[in-house]
This record gives sequence, C-alpha cells and structure tokens, in this order.
Amino acid sequence: MNLKNKLAILGILFLSISVFAQESYLLKGTIVSEVDDQPIPGVNVIVLNTTRGASTDFDGNFEIQVASGEVLQFSYLGYVTKTVIVDNQKTLQVSLAEDTSQLDEVVVIGYGTQKKSHLTGAISKVKNEKLDQISVPRVDEALVGQVSGVTIAATEGEAGSAPTIRIRGTGSITGSSDPAIVVDGLVVDNDFLGNLDMNDVESFEVLKDAASAAIYGSRGANGVILITTKQGKEGKTKFSYNTFTGFKQARQSEDYYFSVAETAQAELAATGTISDRTRVKQLLGVDRDWQDIIFEGGIITSHAFSARGGSEKTKFSTSLNYVHDEGVLLTDDYKKYAIRLKLDSKINDKFTIGASLNPSYSNRRRFDGSTHDILRQAPWLPVYVTEDILPFVNRLRDGGAYANVQVGDYATQRMFDDFDLVTMMPVESGGTDISNTSNTNPAAKVLERDRNDYKFKLAGSFYGKYKITDGLSIRSTLSGDYQDTRRDRWQGVLASRNGASATQLDISSERRVHMVTDNILSYDKVFGKHEINAIAGFSAEKWDTTFESVSGQGFESDLLQTMTAADPTTVTSVSYKLPERLMSYLGRLNYAYDDKYLLSLSFRRDGYSAFGPDSKYGNFPAASVGWIASNEDFLNESEVVTLLKLRMSYGVTGNPFFRTGDPLTDKFPYLSLLSPTTAIIEDGSAGFNPINLANPNLQWERSVEINPGIDFGLFNNIVTGSVEYYKRTSDELLINNPVSSTTGFSNGLVNIGEVENKGFEVELRTRNISKEKFRWSTTILASKNKNELVDFADSNGQIQNVDSKRAAEWINQVGNPISSFYGWVVDRDIPLQYINDPYHPVGGQSQDVYVKDLNGDGIIDDDDKTILGDPYPDFVWSISNDFKIGNFDVSFMFQGSHGAEVRNMGDQYLFNHFNSSQDYNTTTTPNQEFIREKIFTDDIIQDASYIALRNVNIGYTLPESLISKIFLTKARVYASGTNLLYFTASDYTGFNPESINETSPTTYGYQRAGSPINQTITFGLNLEF
Amino acid sequence: MKYTMKPIKVIVSLILVFSVLSCEKDYLSPELESLINADIYYTTEEQLLTAVTNMYDGIQGVNSTSSNDYHAIQQEFYLTEMRSDNTRTKSSEGEAAQFENYSVQATNGIVEDYYRSFYNVIYRANIVLENIGVATDANRDKIEAEAKFIRAYAYFNLVRLYGDIPLVDRVINNTDTDISFTRVDTSIIYDLIISDLQNAISGLDNSYKRRASKAAAQAMLAKVYLTLRTNYVEAQILCEAVMQSGYSLHPDFEGVFYEELNSEIIFAIGYEPGGIDSQNFSAEWLNAVGRTSGVNYVTDDAKDALDALGGNRGLDVSYRVDIDQPTQHQVRKYIPNGEVDAYNGGDFTISDPTSAGNDWIVLRYADVLLMHVEAIMAGGNSTSVQAALDSFQEVRNRAGLTDTVTSITKQELLDERRVELAFENHRLFDLIRLNEAQTVLSNFSAENGYSFNASDLLLPIPQREINLSNGALTQNPGY
Repeated sequence: MNLKNKLAILGILFLSISVFAQESYLLKGTIVSEVDDQPIPGVNVIVLNTTRGASTDFDGNFEIQVASGEVLQFSYLGYVTKTVIVDNQKTLQVSLAEDTSQLDEVVVIGYGTQKKSHLTGAISKVKNEKLDQISVPRVDEALVGQVSGVTIAATEGEAGSAPTIRIRGTGSITGSSDPAIVVDGLVVDNDFLGNLDMNDVESFEVLKDAASAAIYGSRGANGVILITTKQGKEGKTKFSYNTFTGFKQARQSEDYYFSVAETAQAELAATGTISDRTRVKQLLGVDRDWQDIIFEGGIITSHAFSARGGSEKTKFSTSLNYVHDEGVLLTDDYKKYAIRLKLDSKINDKFTIGASLNPSYSNRRRFDGSTHDILRQAPWLPVYVTEDILPFVNRLRDGGAYANVQVGDYATQRMFDDFDLVTMMPVESGGTDISNTSNTNPAAKVLERDRNDYKFKLAGSFYGKYKITDGLSIRSTLSGDYQDTRRDRWQGVLASRNGASATQLDISSERRVHMVTDNILSYDKVFGKHEINAIAGFSAEKWDTTFESVSGQGFESDLLQTMTAADPTTVTSVSYKLPERLMSYLGRLNYAYDDKYLLSLSFRRDGYSAFGPDSKYGNFPAASVGWIASNEDFLNESEVVTLLKLRMSYGVTGNPFFRTGDPLTDKFPYLSLLSPTTAIIEDGSAGFNPINLANPNLQWERSVEINPGIDFGLFNNIVTGSVEYYKRTSDELLINNPVSSTTGFSNGLVNIGEVENKGFEVELRTRNISKEKFRWSTTILASKNKNELVDFADSNGQIQNVDSKRAAEWINQVGNPISSFYGWVVDRDIPLQYINDPYHPVGGQSQDVYVKDLNGDGIIDDDDKTILGDPYPDFVWSISNDFKIGNFDVSFMFQGSHGAEVRNMGDQYLFNHFNSSQDYNTTTTPNQEFIREKIFTDDIIQDASYIALRNVNIGYTLPESLISKIFLTKARVYASGTNLLYFTASDYTGFNPESINETSPTTYGYQRAGSPINQTITFGLNLEF
Repeated sequence: MKYTMKPIKVIVSLILVFSVLSCEKDYLSPELESLINADIYYTTEEQLLTAVTNMYDGIQGVNSTSSNDYHAIQQEFYLTEMRSDNTRTKSSEGEAAQFENYSVQATNGIVEDYYRSFYNVIYRANIVLENIGVATDANRDKIEAEAKFIRAYAYFNLVRLYGDIPLVDRVINNTDTDISFTRVDTSIIYDLIISDLQNAISGLDNSYKRRASKAAAQAMLAKVYLTLRTNYVEAQILCEAVMQSGYSLHPDFEGVFYEELNSEIIFAIGYEPGGIDSQNFSAEWLNAVGRTSGVNYVTDDAKDALDALGGNRGLDVSYRVDIDQPTQHQVRKYIPNGEVDAYNGGDFTISDPTSAGNDWIVLRYADVLLMHVEAIMAGGNSTSVQAALDSFQEVRNRAGLTDTVTSITKQELLDERRVELAFENHRLFDLIRLNEAQTVLSNFSAENGYSFNASDLLLPIPQREINLSNGALTQNPGY
C-alpha cells in the first residue's frame, strides 16, 4: 500500500469517527479518461472500509450509496488509481490518468502484439501524446530524444529533409545504417517518414535488439521502427481539428560574421594603418552578414482534421492533413498533403476484414546551393546594384564587361576592382582590386536556380482475418505502396558566372511499385499457468522501379524552362527498370509460465533476388528469455520493488541494402553486367562496357547481437525504468573492396569485415507528484555507444578524402571507429606578421599552421599523422518533464549529445577563403618545414557536442463549462518552442554541430559549413467535438 | 452466411499462398532488362564491335570532376606538359601543383587515375581479343589489329610514365594477383607493344582518323623505336611510309586545332560538345570557367621559346594572355569549341565550355615529319641529310620561317618540336627521348625554385596498388 492510500485511510478513520452519523445518499457520477475524455466502462468503484461497491456502465456512469466523509476509490487496469473524499456532492465527474508505467500495456512487435510485461527483448514504445505539437514537418524529426539508443540528427537542415536516424550506432560500411520502417505492418522505404503526418500516429515501437528485430530478418540489422496509426474507437464519432503556426529562424554563428568595420579595426591595431583595399571596401558603404541573407527564416503551418469512430462491428478513421514549412534557408520550402482512411469491420464472430488507404503528396523546393560558398562572400558586396553603389561599378575594366550594369542587377565582386583612391573613380587598370572571386553574386546562385522534389505516395492494404478455432486464426494481407517521385532542377542564366553557357535543366522521374502478401497463422492460448502466443507465416514482396531522366543545356534565356528549349545536341537521357524480390518464411513462439518465466523463439528465412542462385537464402534465428522476479513469492510483498524483470536476448539479423553508386548493379551484383557506352568514332556502333566484378557468392550483411536487460518498477511504480547492455557484431559486411586496377576495375563487392557497436541504455521514468490538480512526471533517457572497426580486410588503414582539391583525410583503421579523422596535430599558429596579406579577403587568419613532429625525427611527413577524432557521439541523453497544473499543462525536454567531432571545413572557407594572399611569406617565415595547411590538421576538428532545449510546450485546456456551450468537447491552446536554447562546445564555430554533408560511411563527419539549427516558436490549437 | 464464408476464405487464402509458392524458382530471379549479362553476350561479330567502340570510350575518359571516375586522356596533360618546362598551375594549389614543382606523391589522385584508366583501356582491348573468335573471317584480322593498336597505345603511355609495370595481355580477375602485382621489365613491355603494332600495321588501312589506322600504327611504332633508340632505320622507313600515305600539313597552323579531322590528323580522340562524349580539359586550362580551372598555364620559359622560335605559332596562336590576370598566359590551341574570343564562362555562346567538343590530337603529320628528322639523325648531334632537311623545312615553312635550312642540330630539332607541338603532351617525352631531360629540367627547376632530380622522370606507382599488393609491388626510386 502506498503512502497516499495510507494517508487517505488515516483521514477516513478520523472522519468516520466524527461524522459516522452522517446520512447516506445516492451519488451519481461519470468516469472518463483524462487523455481523451472518453467514458471508461467497467471501472471499480468502492467505498473504502465498507463492502459497498459498484462499477461503471458502458457510458462510464455509476451510482453508489455514500455518506459525506467517506472515501471513494476508483481503479481500473491501465489507469492510476484515484481516491476522492465524499463531501455532500450529488454528482461527481472523475477523470482517471493513464498509468504510463502500466505493464500490461500491449506492445506491437511485428506480425503481432505482446503484453509489455512479457517482453524479453529491447523494445521501446513512444505514444503520440504531444509529439504532434512539435512544430516540425516530418514525424522522424519529432522523435528526437524520445527513445534511448536512438539518435536522430538534423544532418541536412533544409525544410523537409530527412534526418539521419541511427539505432545503436552505425553498423554498415557500404550498406545502409538506416532502420527499417514499418507502417501498420507494411515495410516501407524510409522516405515515407516524409509523407506521414504525426497527427495520424498512435504510437511508435522501436525494436532495438536483434532478437526483437529478427522477425524482420534480412531487414532488421539496423533496428526497426514500427509505426501504428490511429484507429477509430467504438462510440460517438469524434472529430478533431489540430493546427499550429510556428515562426522559424536559424541559429546563426557569431564566429562566421566578418564585418568590414571589424577588419579595419583589427588592421589598424596591428599595422597602424588601413590598407587601400580596406579603404575601398569601406567606401562602398555596405557591411553586413551574409547569414542574414541566406537564413531568411520562415513560417510553418499545420492543419489536421480527423473523424474517428465506429460501432461494435465497424470502426473507422479518416483524416486530412496539411503542412507547409517555409524553412529557414533562402528558397527552401516544403508542402505536404495527406489523406488517411482506415476501416475494420467484423463480418461475424469469426471473420474480420479491413482496409486502409493513404495517399499523400509532398512538394519540396530545395536550397540549391551550399552555405559555405555563399557565406564566404565579402560583407561589402551588395546583393543588387543600387543607386548608391552604381558610381563604384567599373565600366572600363575587363574590356567593358560591366559597362551596361544597371540598378537592380546582381552585384559581382569583379565589378568593383580597379578603384583609384586618388581620383575616387574606377579606372581601367592600375587601381585597387578588392575582389577575391570571379563568381557571380552568391544570392543569384540560389535564387536563379529552381530545384524541386515532387513526391506522390500511396500506401494501402486489405486484410481478412479468420478465426479457425478458439485461439487459432489466420490473417491474410495484401498490401503495398506506390511512389512517384519527380525531380527537376533548373539552373538559370544568372545562376553562374558562365551565363547562358551554363544553363541546365534536369528532370527525372521514378516510379516504384511495392506489393506484399503476408499470410500469418496465429495461435494464442492460455492453459492454466501456461500462456502461448505463436505465429507461422509466409510473405512475398516485390518492388518494381522504373526510372527516367533527361538533361539539357544551352538555354538562351530563362524564358522557357522546358526541355524543348534546350540545345538539342546536349540533351541526354537515361532510363532503366529495377526488379527486386523478397520471399520469406517466418515463425515465432512466445511462451510465459505463471507470469514469471518467459521465453521467445523466432526464425525467419529470407530469399532475395539480388543474390546468386546458390546464395539467395539466409536464416535469421533469435531467442530470448526473461524472469519476472517480482512475481516470485520473495518479492511479491515488497513495498519497494513493484517490478523486477531480468532478461537476455540473442538474435541474428541481416542488412541487404547496399549502395555502390549504381542502382542497377546493386540489384544484380551476382552477374557480370554490361552497360551502354558511346564514343565519337567513325562508323561506330554503340558500345557496351563491363561495369562490375561479379560476385555470385554475395550475401546479406549479418548482425549478431546479445542484449541483457533489466526492467524495474519501484514504490508502486512511482519510479520505473530499464537498463540495457548490448553488443552488436556486424560482420560479412558488404564492402566494395578495392582491387588492383590492372583488372580493369577499382572495386568489387565482397562480404568481409566486421564492425562492433556496444553500449548501455538507461530509461528512468518517475511520477513525482500525482495530485489531481498538480501532476509532475519526469523521463530520463541516456545511452552510450562505442563503435569499433574490428576487421576491414584489405581496406584496413585505408585513407580517403571527399574532395581531392582540399584533401583532408579520413582513415578506416581496425581498433578505431569506422571513420576517424586523420592528419597532423597543431603545434601553434603562425604569427600574423608572417602572413602576406592577413586582412584580405577577411581578417586575421592564415590558412596554414605549425604542426607537431610527433615522432621527433625532425621532419613532418605521413608518419606524424595520427587519428584526430571521430564523428560518432559517445553519450546521448534527454530529460523530459511534464506538469499538469489545473487546466494548464507544461512540458519541456532537454537533450544532449557528447563525444562526437566534426571536421568543420567551413572554418577554412570562411576564415581565409583558401586564399593564397593569406599564405605565409616564404622568405621571412621561420621553420617553414613544420607548416601545413590547417585542413590537414586538428585545427578544424571540432567538438560537436551540444545541449539543447528541444521542446517547451505550455498548454491551457479551456474549462468544459465554457466550451460545451459551443458544442466542443475539448479545446486546448498552446504555445511551444523548439531549440530555444542551444549550447555548443566552446571550440565549435559553426551554426549546427549536427549538420553533416552527405559522404560515404567511411568518410563520415564532413561539415562544409552545413545548414543551421531551426529555432521555432509555435502557437497551436486542439479542438474536439 | 456464417457457414458459407468459411470455405471461401480458406480457399482464397490457400490459393494466395500456393500461387506464390508455385512460382518460387523464377520469383527470386527477375529478368534483367536494363543491362546486359556479359556471360551470355559476345556471340556475334556485331556484339564484338560494341566492345571495339568501348575501347575508344575508355581512352576518351569521363567528363566529370568525381575522383572515382576514369578521366583517361583528359588528365594526361598533368603528367606530361606540367612535368615539363611548358606548363604549370596558375596558383600552385592542390595536388595538381605537385607535377610542376616535382614533388609528386605516390598518393596523388591524378597519377592513380591515369594508371587505372589506361589499364582499363587495356582490359577493354583484351575483351575484344578474348572474343575475337566470334568475328567473321573477313573482318577478324582487322578487328584484332584495331584492338592491338589500342593496347599498344595504352602500354606505350604507361611504360613511358611509370617504367616497369604489370603485363596484362589477357582478361584477368582479382584473384590473378601474380599478374597484377608483378612489375615486368620495360623491355618485355616494349616487346608486346612492338608485336601488337606490327600486327596492327598489317591488319589496318587508312580509312579512319578517330580510330586506329595503318598510318597511326606506323607512326606510333616509329616513335617506339625512337624511344628505344635501337632501330632508327626502321623508324625512318615507317615515317616515310606515313609520308607516302596522303597526309599533309594544314596550310594554316591554327586550323590544325579548329578543323577536326583535317588533312594533318593521323590519330585523334574524338569528342563532341555537350553531353557525355565531351571533354573538360579545354575549360580547365582557362581562368575560372566551370569546375577545375587554372591548370596547364603557360610557363614564361615556354612563352619565351614560342616568342623567339615559334614564327607565326606564338602569341594568340599557341598561347594567349589571360585577360583576367594579364601576367598569366593560357594555352590557345584547344579553346572550348573554337570560341577563341571567349575568356570568361559567360562569353561562351556556342555551348558550355566545360562540355567541350575539341578532339584531342594524338598523332599528326608534323610530328611524323619531325620524327623523320629524328630517325635520320639517329642519335647523333646533327644531320644535313637532304630528306631530313626537307621534312624540317616543310614544318618551318608553314610557320612562316622560310629561311632555308642547311643543317639541323639536335637542339634545333628539340626546339622545333617544342614550338610546333607545344601543349600537345610531347615535350616531356621529347626531352627524355633525346636525352636532354636531365639538363633542361634541372636548369628549369633551379630557375623556378623547384626540386627536380633524375628520379622525377618516372611517376610513382600509385600507392593504392602498392598497398593492395601487400608489398609485392615495389615503388620507383625517389618515392
């Protein structure tokens, strides 16, 4: 018995003594769920210390004889028990809070469900309680910090761009490390997360350990995220309308702002004078931050309308959603429209059918540029030529190239060269040059391009379920999805310094049909203390993709942005078809004895079309056991320990997705393939070129994972939580292994190599205060992961770069994480006195630095390079607090990540533009043999740790008395904020430590300035009627 | 209702399950529609000819900036002109600058790209030779000759740049490491080149300029003999055979480069503007046009030589002033698509300069005439043999240098080759062949503060290959 009950009883004892003579009367009341205000039937109502009791009817109503001063207790499975002191009320409205730590909750586990108390694997469930109020346009973005062991990083930052999701680290090198996504039982492409609306989501279940994910066999290696959408409930049709509007802005970097004024000041302080260049820059009169131009901010709006309900036999759910996110970058914009229908109908006692249909459309305009390229522009350069700046435009130089410049044209740097400070006029030659690039205006590079992704997706399913005998049923599902993706990209005349000659239009179209048939036989039975839950099934899936693209160049103007206006000799096209097939047999047995001893066994056999005739099939077994110690006699009576479960799991999963860069070879890597080529020769026919080293023995990457874990509940589940340890060994990695180029190839796909991820996860939930008018609960999640390359065959020690011109290096070395930054260690800066022109184009940074002679042999060479860090976080955590104070509710989440580094190439682009004028003087500078470019050193390796106030949400639910007059059942207004506080490590200079440019998994962690963190303030409204 | 439903449902389910099960075998082997399965291809001559085309595609290289692509001939200037005294980068930036200042690293991506590209060309030629059996009797010798010409061309480039190299004379795979990682003496490589070229001479005629021809094989074999310095007589005979094959100097020197397939061209790599059969080197040699640019800029040394000795081949013909940076000079022989008045990207009106269509000339008649002189000089320091004087005079006359030549020294021959063939990737090989590389490049290096020494005449074997060989491949000295 908990303290609260004890106090209540004490109170009753006193009261009953004093007011025993009170007369009894009939109290009428209603009990509803606090979550949705729906009546709860079957609630136990008892008057404490008496034999009087009742239970609620179908509409949540009850009647009971009470006397003033008596204590009523309301209890129902899945809800927090509540007591109310009778005080002469004639009617009583009681709302029960859902018990979030309730253990008999049902969890979706893939091809079925299981009682949460019987789970033996590592599965986290996240219910959509307030997730739909986080003002992000994608469902995955809202999951940040919700599940331990899952990291979600906004690596791109454009409106509508997919974040990078990792469950327990990165386990693959050529393959994908993205988790499998399953929506209502259908395995979909990750891209579906961009078309789903959070308002439709009921819950997420994340299968983290291999034993849980093994039921998805060859797709389970990176974990599985199961998404269950909302279904109608029996009763009156409930309409809801949810909307929010958010105001977004980018988190800017102070370090990346270089004003002319600051530079002039620094220059004056250092040299006692202001150089001619700086003087001309000052004269132009423009001085501002390019971050203000490209991080323009925006508004995000969401509207979601739904109607859900049903009868005893038929339940339905319909919804309509719209999101528009303007993004914080120049030009980026994301719109999404979705409709969802879901219907289940009981034909009779034995037979149920159901169907769902979900069309959605999204239109994303891209930010078609790179932030580093734009931000490294001079602060003195205006976007457009103005009246004020026009006299500075040099109409004489470059053969009169700028003679016709007018107000309103894009300004370019070269226009302002050769300014004569004596006559204060531009001159043909011999004046002061201030430009450092011949590029066009950076804003033009973005504004004069138009790049869009249009995605139409349709997911649907139809199922029939037949109860064969008691406990045995068969369910047959035919489901699938259709995706139509069209991309276009226009690069206009003014988008580049090369003018019309660089105009280009690219259009591509991809259609992908995915069909699945699942036939699952289920058996659920309880015999005394034995509880059995088993499935056996067969599944076949196919994907057929067709792709077409066409590109043309040589447009004369921006007037006609169609392929017909291109120079026909430049038009090229590509098309192909990709078939893919998967066939699977699966089975699972869950067994519980006496609610104490738990066992789960599963097996899946997958056959996949991309493998050779003798290697098509793979087996994915799993086993796990659990012991609910708290149900044993010795703990049964414990007042401290409410729940204690020990469990252990082992499973094998696979990862089939590999990306060699050529989608065609990825589907037929077991064959020697020829692709068409052309050559300009006389009498030439078409050519065919071998494109791969065939490997008929290829198989899935394999992950083997063990996962011991503990679930606990203390003090009547006031404190609940779990601790997990896992060790996942991914081997047989699909690697595009380098081969001698004398073979005619550079690489060949093989199964070699091994990566290990191991770590801990802790989840802790506490109900700190549970009063009717004031409730406070806290959730703490923490996870720690260590990634290590265990075997990399011939590629061990491989050193790579992502840009051969600025070839900062990564190493893939056994004993270290998959990708590690590699290079020299900074010793000290070069004093500014040795820099040729330290204040042009920007202030006070050399692109070189003295490095350490690590092995002390007196020279700097490759032997002095070392590992400088890695891009994987070691420790990720979040703390969420939820309060309910009367009609107000408040919640906030802090989230943090520690231990990752990024290679912030932005520094070098922005601090000195890779400009040789900021080189050291080759005659005066001492010890030049110890000088190296900063990009090859740890100078630009920065701590990517952060702590963010991810979400704050303050809501107010309008009193029922008020809203019932306007036929509403619920009305809530709220204000929320995203990333309102965001702290980065002190040595981090950029604007988003999470931002990472897309490179290969072996060169991960490259940040070329990247894209900013979005900070949003949102106002929203929830209505139900 | 209740009872009729049951059997229907069960039957439907069973049909669903079994219909899929029954097609199991084919189900997991969907048809390959968008590519060709090589294992069942090459059964007819028509199919074999697709492999012939593919060889030229290999030499042409990919017009891209991706370091994983095979750029082949499009990057040859880095390894030849930029390692001679003719060209350099504009700003001494990045790995491209390693060539001009003789600090090439074994990890240099361009060194690796070229090695990989030309072994890939060899692989493509070996595919033709491996499947030569499907050719008709009428065409078999011709197709074989064409493949052997291409293979010889690739090996001749590789052996001159890298020295001893692996000998791959058939299709191999990644388990043939004994072949991939064994460096074979240059003399054995040259044996294969000579035998392939002899085979090519007997099997080919002179129908083509963008494909292998008899004259191309003859001229190349002549150059092989000159390089080996062993068989000057045969080299002279081969040059004279080409000289009697109907080729002639283009009357206008500039026209050599801007009229494709003109009478002077013996063998060129074809390109077309726009699209995938275009090239990027023409744009790279300009200032700030497109992607990589500012490479293969003219050295003052080459400019001085052209001014002094070039006749009408100098300013605004072989080179020009960079209008953006007037102290710098650009090659003018391959201005994208012949738009010689265009400087900035925006000036180009015909098409995108980074997708240029200028053919790359491998062998032209003036080269043969000067080889003719070299063959007659036969390793000596001068010649006044009339045949040599005639050939030499012919080249100079076109350049407007009509003074009568009465004798030719080795230095004069070298100078003439330099100004006639400037920026056509001959200079480094000429210096080596005529045994002047050490002296000339040492002086050039000293004047410019570079660090040339004798070992720089060979490129390093790409570090990637050495790493993969687990020590079986040895590195060239000096790396």
